[in-house]
Amino acid sequence: MRGLTALFIMLSAAPVAAQTVVVSAEPEAVSLTVYRGEKYGGQSIDPNWPTGYALVTETRTLMVPAGESVIRFEGVAEGMFPESAIVTGLPKGVKEKNRDARLLSPLGLVDAYLKRQVTITRTERATGKTREYPAMITSAPGGAVILQTGDGYEALHCTGLPERMAFAQVPTNLSAKPTLSVITQSDKPVTAKVTLTYMASGFDWEANYIAQVQERGKEGKGKVDLFAWLTLANGGNQSFVNANTMAIAGKPNRVARGPQARPTGGGLRLKCWPTQRTHEVPYRPGYLPPPPPPPPAPIAYMDSESDNIIVTAQKMRRESFASAAPVAVVVAEQEDLGDLKLYRIPEPVTVNAKGQKQVAMLVKPGADFIHYYGASVQNYAMQSTPMTLMLRGKNTSEKGLGLPMPQGQMMIFENSKYGPLLTGETTLKDRAIGEDVEIAVGSSADVRIQVKPQSEKANNQRWEIKVTNARSSPVNIEVEIPYELRGKSKVVSKIDGVPTWKTTVVGNDSATLMYDIKLERN
Amino acid sequence: MRHLLLLGMGCVIAAPLSAQGDVTSAQGDVAVTIYQNGQSLVQDTRQMNLPSGRSKQEFPDVSAQIRAETVTLTGPGIGIVEQNFDYDLLTPAKLMEKAVGQTVTLLRTNVATGAESRVRAKVLAANGGVVLQIGETIEVLRDDGLPVRVIFDKVPPNLRARPTLSVTLESKGGVTPTTLTYLTPGLGWTSDYVTLFDDAKQTIDVQGWVTLTNNTGTDYTSADVLLVAGNPNQGGNRRVYQTPYNGSTGTIDEAGTESNDRERLGDYYLYPLGERTTIANAQQKQVSFLDVKSAPARNTYEFNNGWLATNEAASAASVLKFSTSKGGGLGDQLPSGTMRVYMRDKRGDPQFIGESQIEATPMGSTMSIRTGEAFDVKVKTVVEERTRINANRWKTRMRYEITNARGNAITVDIGQNGLWGDVRISEQSQEGKRVSADRVEWSVPVAANGKATVTATFDSRY
Repeated sequence: MRGLTALFIMLSAAPVAAQTVVVSAEPEAVSLTVYRGEKYGGQSIDPNWPTGYALVTETRTLMVPAGESVIRFEGVAEGMFPESAIVTGLPKGVKEKNRDARLLSPLGLVDAYLKRQVTITRTERATGKTREYPAMITSAPGGAVILQTGDGYEALHCTGLPERMAFAQVPTNLSAKPTLSVITQSDKPVTAKVTLTYMASGFDWEANYIAQVQERGKEGKGKVDLFAWLTLANGGNQSFVNANTMAIAGKPNRVARGPQARPTGGGLRLKCWPTQRTHEVPYRPGYLPPPPPPPPAPIAYMDSESDNIIVTAQKMRRESFASAAPVAVVVAEQEDLGDLKLYRIPEPVTVNAKGQKQVAMLVKPGADFIHYYGASVQNYAMQSTPMTLMLRGKNTSEKGLGLPMPQGQMMIFENSKYGPLLTGETTLKDRAIGEDVEIAVGSSADVRIQVKPQSEKANNQRWEIKVTNARSSPVNIEVEIPYELRGKSKVVSKIDGVPTWKTTVVGNDSATLMYDIKLERN
Repeated sequence: MRHLLLLGMGCVIAAPLSAQGDVTSAQGDVAVTIYQNGQSLVQDTRQMNLPSGRSKQEFPDVSAQIRAETVTLTGPGIGIVEQNFDYDLLTPAKLMEKAVGQTVTLLRTNVATGAESRVRAKVLAANGGVVLQIGETIEVLRDDGLPVRVIFDKVPPNLRARPTLSVTLESKGGVTPTTLTYLTPGLGWTSDYVTLFDDAKQTIDVQGWVTLTNNTGTDYTSADVLLVAGNPNQGGNRRVYQTPYNGSTGTIDEAGTESNDRERLGDYYLYPLGERTTIANAQQKQVSFLDVKSAPARNTYEFNNGWLATNEAASAASVLKFSTSKGGGLGDQLPSGTMRVYMRDKRGDPQFIGESQIEATPMGSTMSIRTGEAFDVKVKTVVEERTRINANRWKTRMRYEITNARGNAITVDIGQNGLWGDVRISEQSQEGKRVSADRVEWSVPVAANGKATVTATFDSRY
């Protein structure tokens, strides 16, 4: 019912596709191997912007018609690196592989209909009647859409009238989402089982350790129960249902990707006199939206009775929580993959879009650790300052460990009258078998160090360290003195090349050390 | 037909909505352990009726700022398969994005007549504007700015009202007390000390208050609250110890070595609240934890000269000195916080005279709280003479003039810093105390409305 005569010369539409288009909507089986992103300074995964990547392998069954056909793969991760895609299982292989990022959008439609006819529908506000006009788009959509109508030339949406454009058909070369397609050939129609393998960004994983420190024994010796989650995040909008899921520790080499085809599309941004129009759906060429808005704050409610509570140390209402770590029935299995470590979740799991998943990966109760308090005199303070409680273990089976420990975050729990409670958080780098495992738990207000300069001569400085212990039990201390010292001392020995004062300070007492630094003067 | 159907659906939806009217939380027996670095450990024990075998359990009413990676679920007979935290949230944009390829209903309202018309439309794409196929034509949704309601047939399965924590577990079945443990930021505490100084008696009354602040976005109802004095480490390893100046506010003169029977967690002290309390979101709550009367204290004055230099008269610092030891002090550990010092005016009303940050202090320490500058006590430093002794050494004669405009006798501690290296004091008008290679101190008595002078000669390399 485009009533009026077409006044315009119709340019031919885009070349008609000669091939049959086969759409493969989703995979039947998928496996997902997640590689870690670079985490500087031990930061944790950002679930909204995971910096690692994944290798996705999908199996799809599809009907390949006779002759040349285009197979479009839908339901792939948006972060796909199209250059990494491998398609196998087609009868005559892949003739051409394309990733199209020309997107169907208001902008894309206007662009595709340049010098072509559209229908403008205008509504009278007073009566609600609509009238349709044929019009030809005469300008590219750079800030304005200029229409040629029977009355001359007009700018879209600058008329003050409610007007909308209608297009006859969807341009064949625009797709709703960036799409991977392959061109293939077949002599006869066949059902093919196709495997699609690709790499995609927007994933990450790391370990989350729970270290539960048991009672400290004599000379600072103690046991630590270690548990770790394999935490993996999918920041994309694509879920992977019943995926055979793995994670890789280690660092495969990567090179920078070449320039990529940037998706085209978006809303029309018309530089016109103001009109009221919003596009609710933001245009996002990337795979990630901005972080979700914070949930609305619940209404605070008034509390009148509980303002005056006196703390008493006697009452104990909280039941004791037995353990800081859970009991896991599914634990990821570790295997070696060349020089990398692979962790396989033993049964298929669903990796949700915008979801973080945790499966146990390490259960190691009763590892041997030694408690000590550490400090370095390098940045000395004449004020008394807290020392750092450290735990030192060794990643060997004799010491109760002896398994690869991938990088991650660690929570440390210690027992109290109220059950295990958090005493520290730290990060752990990849620890291979045989390496030392050192954990900084937290600073101690009770075990403190004070460093005072005593005197200075031409090539000699005398210092005094005083360590005070307000705990009722003896503590091991290690104070690093990273300078060249004069003389020999029984209590100062080199650890990793650094002279270190190693001693035990008895409970409710203090210990002092005088030492002389050799000065080099010109 | 369609209207009837919609009405029926409306009724179904109405029931759960009204049930949500009264605010009942899914939280169980909540224990909250609050640290001084703004992190809190929440232990939430819920009685859950679990089916036998494997099931997926969702946990609503956790902290809105929950650190999902720290979640642990424990309980008798429970084994964990996996934990998920899903944050794909239901928004108009997400609803439309997930509708690509599906058919929705458009309800157009005629602006003039109010007449409504319905059409079915297929969503073709949502890339910065929604492209629709309506019958034979392609249009952009609301391109004309006229009212159009978009009615979706269903909500996509994975979109959620808020980030959702779920745990897949195996159980023997039945009602099981399950404890959900997690860390959340946004809930912290500090301590505030109210110190009333009695100048005549030279004593202090100290009250310690815990100030709790909840910005987690969640209420914790009838919670068992435990406060931990101490900062759990966040990050750091062997070579990166706590930097010495971090947290050191110079209030501890001598660190104590006493201990008492206060409950501990590793190297931290525990302050349990005696009764359950409700910590509402966006609430600040104060609870008393220390109340000491008439502990001995004395006020002194302190003046530091950083360099051997002439300076015009400047105020000395007012310093309050006391001890935290059991005998003759506060007899307790002090968690880090702010100490505010008050004195009574002539009418007997307490007035604020200054405050200072204090760090976590062991029992038995001697402390100095610098409350401010003394109006009436001033020190002038003068370089009287500076001569070269030989190629390497200089001689500097310093004079320190102390004036006291107060009506009582006082003692001022003069500290001369900058003696780094091998500076020798060849002559001084009164015996000083070389507290370190860098610093010498003189304790100078000054009479009421009087003056005092100290002179010293330094032999230095510069």
